[in-house]
Amino acid sequence: MNNNESYFYHALKVDAEICIGCTHCMQSCPTEAIRVRNGVAVIIENKCIDCGECFKVCPVKAIYIKQDDFSLIFNYKYRIALVPAVFIGQFPEEIRTSEIYAYLKKIGFTHIYEVEHGVGYMISFFNDYFKKYSDKNVFVSSFCPAVVRLIQVRFPGLVENIIHLKAPLDVSAIMITQRLTEAGIQKEDIGVFYITPCAAKIAAVKSPVENTKSIINGVINMDFLYNKVQKMLHTDKSNVEPINHSLTGRDVKWSLSGGEASNFGENAFAVDGLKNVIEFLEKLENDEIDTSGLIEMRVCDQSCAGGILNVNNRFVAVQRLLKRANYLDQKLDGRYCFVPEIGTNFYSRVAKQMEIDEIKPRPIDKLANNYKTALLMKNEIEKIKAKLPSIDCGACGSPNCAALAEDIVKGFASIDNCVFLDDECKSIKRINTEIWNNNKTNK
Amino acid sequence: MQYEFQIEGGNFSGAGESTSVIKKTLKQLGIDSTIIKRVVIALFEAEINVVAHAYNGKMIVEIFEDQIKMIVEDNGPGIENIELAMQEGYSTASEKVREMGFGAGMGLPNIKKNTDVLNIQSTPGVGTKLEMIVYI
Repeated sequence: MNNNESYFYHALKVDAEICIGCTHCMQSCPTEAIRVRNGVAVIIENKCIDCGECFKVCPVKAIYIKQDDFSLIFNYKYRIALVPAVFIGQFPEEIRTSEIYAYLKKIGFTHIYEVEHGVGYMISFFNDYFKKYSDKNVFVSSFCPAVVRLIQVRFPGLVENIIHLKAPLDVSAIMITQRLTEAGIQKEDIGVFYITPCAAKIAAVKSPVENTKSIINGVINMDFLYNKVQKMLHTDKSNVEPINHSLTGRDVKWSLSGGEASNFGENAFAVDGLKNVIEFLEKLENDEIDTSGLIEMRVCDQSCAGGILNVNNRFVAVQRLLKRANYLDQKLDGRYCFVPEIGTNFYSRVAKQMEIDEIKPRPIDKLANNYKTALLMKNEIEKIKAKLPSIDCGACGSPNCAALAEDIVKGFASIDNCVFLDDECKSIKRINTEIWNNNKTNK
Repeated sequence: MQYEFQIEGGNFSGAGESTSVIKKTLKQLGIDSTIIKRVVIALFEAEINVVAHAYNGKMIVEIFEDQIKMIVEDNGPGIENIELAMQEGYSTASEKVREMGFGAGMGLPNIKKNTDVLNIQSTPGVGTKLEMIVYI
């Protein structure tokens, strides 16, 4: 079923023991990357964009997100937790940020470093990028890895509009590694672990879009660490030593909807939620949208606060983060406690490491490499599609009738898979008459 | 392979849906994204012309081994002076249409720019027929 041209890491997996083959995931997948075979859901790897829609709809929790073994952190003498701002949003307000960080240290990390430390640099890199490519009109942020993958597979014509720069996460990883090595610590003793709110970020770390090895040594799921911290909050009564943190309000808001766009002038704006993103990209690709500037795009509703590994309600999490941002802004009174040193050697070195040479289109719609063959196949698909009932029930194991027609022509399925066209099935015949008034199959 | 869509005059909000169907097909056929973009722009501009000026119309897209042939035909006021309509910025669109962000007078010039062949037949008071070809 896979035409494996190249391998892409996916964090989303199906547990075949638990899966009941109910088709919910198959029908919610935005890239039609799931089929049901032998009673279980199967993910077609080169179509999957790790958005996590399947994870959300699975009624039996058969879809899971593979994370690195936590004990892996102890392979390193210096264990850095790269914590995204949304992690704080998972906890009730009475638990202070500094406490949460202190508990993370108790769990086993030696250093806590906030992902959004890289934001100051990021803004500067973006502005350099806009100047360098001033011939381009529309810039799509590369922040959300699921958006990048979605564009690669479904909107290959827009790949050039993606900002070819890595994310704040990478800047922060470079910054903390630099700081520690400057203090005389050996690089191989440093383990940088990212705490992720979603599957897409894991996939992006494990197989980066630019095909180089990521600077991040491992990824730990946010719900896993949330549980560990909660457990300690309930059982560990010893005093924790608060840890200083030094983000600005602007940094804290970066991963929320509009938090990125608000830094880039009045033309920049934010699109969030998978359906909205697809609808927008469709129109952008058709040249129906007259816009210029940065478009922040995130597949999760409420951006990273809606990540599938978040525990807290997304709106409550956003509220906590906005309050935190407000507090930090007041405390700092407009002063930035962390200003990127533009023009220094460090700046240019990081800038160089942030560049992505190429984001390859990976079109999944293409039926065949040869145009004539594709044309013949498409003709055949249309003929088969005309015979199918257009109910999109999914009983055949394909997400809808059009997909079944395509699967048949590609040789992955048979027309006998359609229950409505099987004359032997008497109960189906009855349903066909009583529910559908025969008008779905008598074509 | 042939696709046919009806176009309703004045229905700006529904415009672009048929273009998306054609786009999906062209992607399946593995056609280069720059060619897809040209086809999509030409079709959308032609559709908007019908929506903005005519009563109703239809769009026929035929896909051959070497070319994509598009016909957009309408019942409408027709074009009085085709040469003038081909000039960038020339528009007879009403104030209402302009307020909606259309009618900048770039429609036909934009179609011309994105197609390899463009034939316009128009009878004032009867309608307009656009025949467009993009070679693959």
